[in-house]
Amino acid sequence: MITKYFSKIVVKFNPFGAEAKTARLFLCAIPPLQRMQGTMIQNELLTNGSTKKPILKVTFKDKTEMETNPGEMTFQEVSNYFDTHSRRLQLKETIEKQ
Amino acid sequence: MFIQSFRLPIGINLSNGLLKINQGSLLRESKVLINRFYATERLTVKPLESRKTFLMDYYKDMMESNPVILFVHYNNLMKQENEHYRSLIKSNGGKLSMLRNNLFKAYLRAAHTEDPSAPIQNKDKNMNHPLLPLFNGPTAAIMFKETSPANVAKIVKLLEKAQDKLFIVGAKVETEVYDVAQLNEFKKLPSKPELQAQLLGLLHILSGAGLVNTLEKGSQTLYLTLKSHHDNKESQGN
Repeated sequence: MITKYFSKIVVKFNPFGAEAKTARLFLCAIPPLQRMQGTMIQNELLTNGSTKKPILKVTFKDKTEMETNPGEMTFQEVSNYFDTHSRRLQLKETIEKQ
Repeated sequence: MFIQSFRLPIGINLSNGLLKINQGSLLRESKVLINRFYATERLTVKPLESRKTFLMDYYKDMMESNPVILFVHYNNLMKQENEHYRSLIKSNGGKLSMLRNNLFKAYLRAAHTEDPSAPIQNKDKNMNHPLLPLFNGPTAAIMFKETSPANVAKIVKLLEKAQDKLFIVGAKVETEVYDVAQLNEFKKLPSKPELQAQLLGLLHILSGAGLVNTLEKGSQTLYLTLKSHHDNKESQGN
């Protein structure tokens, strides 16, 4: 997963639910240095009684927002999903550099 | 010959009264026998002295000797952070230990058996253990030797500062499994000795209303019945 272009991450999940695996793997895929360099990470734990839906929401550096439901996707699928936009940004960056 | 009626070790043949020993097969068979001897001592899925068996034993001991265990998710802790949190937790009466998910899940599935490292059939496995869904992604355990909600409250406060680096996903308190909301309720309770003292105090107040008398009554009537029986016997003897 290309995490370089993430500027803000919001994760909501129930640790006892089916979505926990994807959400937790997503959280630990963010390198520790990036946390220190200013990528905001918000995580909220849901309980069995709460009505909120589990969510993975990423804001990129160009302010596009993408979100998914971690309960319906595996970690690999989530990473491919966010990579579609990250690759676009990567391409843009290399063109600008030349 | 009477000696033939005993079972002889394999590799020794008694024929025509001569003792013949086949050395190669004796060595091989004795190895098998020794292995069998160990196997009756303790049968484990993984080798007896392997790390996996050690960890299974460690997890069993951890779950049985610590009444309160908090399960936390950790995110790529760096070396200093790791040491920092370990020392902070230690100074608050807890102990942090990183878990190996698959081994811990194997332990949970066999936790009801006497020896969780022993081979177990699929139908005997407890696939619905309430803690099982917690072990996806990096998980650690913070264990406490005593049930003291005050210490738990301190650690919870400490982990709030750690934000997404280290956060609680669930807990085991005595025999129950708590989620985060239930744990927040639990940490407000007074400690176990305090609760016991409160109960005792309550009983003392109520004793005026005859609660202690009622509790004593059973043994008292038994004593009186036996006493009268004893007296009757004595009077008959005279």
